[in-house]
Amino acid sequence: MLLEIRDIHVHYGKIAALKGITASVDEGEIVTLIGANGAGKTTTLKTVSGLRPLSGGGIVFDGKDISKMPGHKRVLAGIGQAPEGRGIFPGMTVEENLLMGAYARKGDSSPELKEAYELFPRLAERKNQAGGTMSGGEQQMLAIGRALMAKPKVLLLDEPSMGLAPMLVQQIFTIIQEINRRGTTVLLVEQNAQQALQIAHRAYVLETGRVVKTAPAADLLDDPEVRAAYLGGDLGAAKGTAAPPAAPAPAPEPSATSADAGGPADADSADPAGTRADDGEGGTAP
Amino acid sequence: MLDDFINQFWPSTIDGLSLGAIYALVALGYTMVYGVLRLINFAHADIFMVGTFAALWTVQTMGVSSAGGIGLIGVAVVMALVAGAVSGGSALLLEVAAYRPLRKKGASRLAALISAIGASIFIQQLFATTVIPWVFDTSKEGGKLPLNEHFVSRNDVVDLGPIHISNDKLIVFVGAVLMMIALDQFVNRTKLGRGIRSTAQDPETAVLMGVNIDRVVSVTFLVGGAMAGVAAALYFLRFEQAWFFTGFLLGIKAFTAAVLGGIGNIRGALVGGFALGLFEMYGSSLFGSEWRDVVAFSVLILVLMFRPTGILGESLQQARA
Repeated sequence: MLLEIRDIHVHYGKIAALKGITASVDEGEIVTLIGANGAGKTTTLKTVSGLRPLSGGGIVFDGKDISKMPGHKRVLAGIGQAPEGRGIFPGMTVEENLLMGAYARKGDSSPELKEAYELFPRLAERKNQAGGTMSGGEQQMLAIGRALMAKPKVLLLDEPSMGLAPMLVQQIFTIIQEINRRGTTVLLVEQNAQQALQIAHRAYVLETGRVVKTAPAADLLDDPEVRAAYLGGDLGAAKGTAAPPAAPAPAPEPSATSADAGGPADADSADPAGTRADDGEGGTAP
Repeated sequence: MLDDFINQFWPSTIDGLSLGAIYALVALGYTMVYGVLRLINFAHADIFMVGTFAALWTVQTMGVSSAGGIGLIGVAVVMALVAGAVSGGSALLLEVAAYRPLRKKGASRLAALISAIGASIFIQQLFATTVIPWVFDTSKEGGKLPLNEHFVSRNDVVDLGPIHISNDKLIVFVGAVLMMIALDQFVNRTKLGRGIRSTAQDPETAVLMGVNIDRVVSVTFLVGGAMAGVAAALYFLRFEQAWFFTGFLLGIKAFTAAVLGGIGNIRGALVGGFALGLFEMYGSSLFGSEWRDVVAFSVLILVLMFRPTGILGESLQQARA
């Protein structure tokens, strides 16, 4: 295993955010953590990259215990992250942001810079623009490109689809697959479970700081409980024809209501995000 | 009143620019530390004071008397090097002793602020009671050390109609501007400079990039302290005096300059410093020199009323996207 998360506990003050998460990522995999807000997905990533101290458990990366390694050294060890909210340095140009990705490494970083521009041609067009003035989708590309500048063994992605238009989401996920195909292991945190499960090999479902389910991603896509809770079961029901396979679930009544309760809210939250991103996209269309 | 102002316009402008250059250099230290740590380092004023004594020590050790021309430039460079090194080192020590332990324990910003005030008083008293009597062999009350003889021989080196610039003021201005350009290049062009800017803009993401925050903080204090040291050397060249309490008013003025320009913004500190120097000098020619500080702080209040983020605003951080 490239990355092993062993029963980690993390506290914010006295509140337990993670209550014993165990997960692992093998070399070459795309593994996704899905779950609702507050389930502990982001905290898990931040703990792996050393931004949050452990109060219990341990993290082994590439055969070494990194539980006590300071955050800034974990980049050199091979952990790269595109953080939640993208974390673009607003006052730096695109190129400066990319170079920040290679900050920890010694020597020439122009080959990686070239590769980043090749993977994201849009960034090359805008290399002298201030990072803070870019649209959401461009910022996400920049965040991923920047993380790759460190040549990580594992790439941690925190909600890369957040606030992006559906078309851009599709594009980002295609790029993630491409990055994985080129040999980088990916640990992906997503609220957009449908998309995440489609590209991932394995998945962990988190709920209030615990892992409640783990399986190959394809199995979870067909799992009725997961469908109801995270994949907007109501959408399937609305389509009518797609609903029947999920219908013979053990407790159709409660699961349907919970899906209904969660569903519209989900759709509501997805929609404004879509429009916002649409605006952003409109602004950046060449 | 207005006649005085018109008659004094060019001399006030020259004085204002050379004084403002010193404010600006000191303001850089306030603004850089604020940018990285969100802390007002009140002890920065005393780092400046330490620099004036380093400059005094240099002059005494070199046995300079009535230097002028190229010789004075040489003296200024040596003083700046010594004072810059001493002040930079002191600032580094200050950070390790007064702020780092609090950061490691996750103390609040208020605790760090109190620590800053304590450190400021500590440095002042350390100099008044111990360093000055020991190093400078004087038992003068309060440790105020005016030089009996001037070590600078002043003469006008620029003479253009109404504009006369004396050699010391020219050295102060040019020296300060050179330091500002060097700092600007350092922050905007080098890797360490990128580390400082990234920490100021988003410390958590900076860690993800492999930036060692402790190292960035140390460099920030070192560079800010060195700037204050150079400012102290220029101040000493201009006013030929050192006193354990010098830092207090000058520190408040430099802090004002930083706020005026937009705290956290490096170019803002420069604009604020020059603006404050000019306002003070124009104000004193308009209302009399006893009104100088009143004018300076009135301008600050007025600017903040209409532009709470200062003249240039906060650009080192910018709104977090």
